[in-house]
Amino acid sequence: MSELDRLQDFISAALRRRRDLSRDPVIVAQAEREIHATSHFSPARHLEIYREQFWLRHTQSLLEDFPGIAGILGQSDWERLVEEYLLAQPPASFSLRDLGEKLPAFLESADFLPQRELVLDMARLEWAHIEVFDAPALPPLAPESVATLDEEALASARLLLSPALRLLDLSYPVPELRNRLLSAKGSLVDLPLPEPSPTRLVLYRRELSTVHCRLRRAPFTLLEALSRGVSLGNACEAACALGEREAASVEREVATWFADWVARGFIVGVR
Amino acid sequence: MTERTTVPDLGVGVGLRVPHYRGVLERRPPLDFFEIISENFMVPGGKPRHHLERVLETYRVVQHGVSLDIGGPQGPSPEYLRRLKALARETGTPWVSDHFCWCGSSGVHLHDLLPLPYTEEAIRRVSERARVVQDTLELPFALENTSSYLTYRSSSMPEWEFLTEVTERADIGLLLDVNNIYVSSYNHGLDPIQFLEGIPAHRVVQIHVAGHTHVGEYIIDTHRGPILPPVWDLYRLAIERIGSVSTLIEWDDAIPELDVLLAEADQARSERDRALAARARGETSVDAEAVRAALCALRGQPAVRDPGWLQGGPRESAGKESDHEAA
Repeated sequence: MSELDRLQDFISAALRRRRDLSRDPVIVAQAEREIHATSHFSPARHLEIYREQFWLRHTQSLLEDFPGIAGILGQSDWERLVEEYLLAQPPASFSLRDLGEKLPAFLESADFLPQRELVLDMARLEWAHIEVFDAPALPPLAPESVATLDEEALASARLLLSPALRLLDLSYPVPELRNRLLSAKGSLVDLPLPEPSPTRLVLYRRELSTVHCRLRRAPFTLLEALSRGVSLGNACEAACALGEREAASVEREVATWFADWVARGFIVGVR
Repeated sequence: MTERTTVPDLGVGVGLRVPHYRGVLERRPPLDFFEIISENFMVPGGKPRHHLERVLETYRVVQHGVSLDIGGPQGPSPEYLRRLKALARETGTPWVSDHFCWCGSSGVHLHDLLPLPYTEEAIRRVSERARVVQDTLELPFALENTSSYLTYRSSSMPEWEFLTEVTERADIGLLLDVNNIYVSSYNHGLDPIQFLEGIPAHRVVQIHVAGHTHVGEYIIDTHRGPILPPVWDLYRLAIERIGSVSTLIEWDDAIPELDVLLAEADQARSERDRALAARARGETSVDAEAVRAALCALRGQPAVRDPGWLQGGPRESAGKESDHEAA
């Protein structure tokens, strides 16, 4: 390891420390070997300027991307979550946009948090917002491209969904909660927590805005199967297998669903 | 890149920031160019790319990055360079810039512009990589002097010598941040005039000027507030030494109304014209001793305690979306 690498490893590790560096005698001693003191600051205090910024910058970035989680948790639990997350998953991407990518997975085992299931649903929604926000825009499927397919070809067709679309199967009605929190611009102090309620969403981009629509179980199952590359015929069968009511719904409404999904730009290709 | 004259003087520009999108696109104010933070637009679609395309309809755009990591153990990632080059092809930027810094180690990206030690090892590392970056991008490449809040015992030369060595060995440009000279001079007890005289003038492809925040024992490069008089003095000195070169106003924190920023750009034009006129006469418009004295006098003056500080400027993020609706 070169001298430069060794110096940079020391500083990189020090800046990710959660507590004031001046309290750690090992860091203080090494800082004195590497960094000049000035008339007003010790070497460790100079390093501390950068350490404070590491936490401020990444906390601010996560707050921008996950305002709903911050609103549910309130300041104290939010700060603990950010601390535990950044310690467990230090930023690796060049872009702050990717900072929260692993937050939903991290929350699955974050037993220290109150309302963890609600927070987890909010994290899934807010990360989906980030993915949809800057995903590529592809032109919607032209209806005539499937009009010429016979019944057999249609059943075996695999439909491509828009990259600016995410399907979310959640346990709580978090979109409404998030909207209320964003409107309130604060924590959940006076807002009641929602009761669990199955919430199946399509989050997608219309024009440049991220919007969502709710789906019933059968159309959600069908669309979710399509998103995994299942053929149209098998996706319909998966939806029908949910029960008699769902099967009847597929039989009766599938053409309407597809017309709506094509109009909204959910489907961008067929192969 | 071999000489600064191969890079055009674009005039005076400002950083393109989210709060100004509407005003810029509706009014199309007369500005010579915009500078973008490359990383904010290295995404495949959505609002960031839409707004960039609209801006490109009217304006020249120059790319400036904050995450290349030219000096870290890992160095620039091939994927990062691929995306940077793809964006450069779309913007038509006449050059690409980043910073003399390192950004992390052991797979961690700290999203900061950490100072390098001014050593032979760092010169070799940065100059070799900078040459590769320039060849890969197939565009003139420049590195910017950063503001810093610590200095290393291992440094064996002043910062200006380090900048000179790297730019000469790599045959790249220098993005001269005049405010950073002022900030680092205060923080480390340097002479800003000597710093400015030490930089390789023929390598300068662009100048940055910005506001800063004095927090008492040190100054932070916050890009907040108007450019202060001693920084304008240093800017004029730089222009008198370098000649006509593209100049950019950076304002990234507590971002003001567009008209305030445009007025700052007008001020830059006026300062630039004054310096170029003095240069043509073989004179100077700056009292160097007064600049030194002002820097010394700053110690002990009242300071701001809530500086705010977000390196790289605000980004357009999904978390700020407020127009969700149930379809």
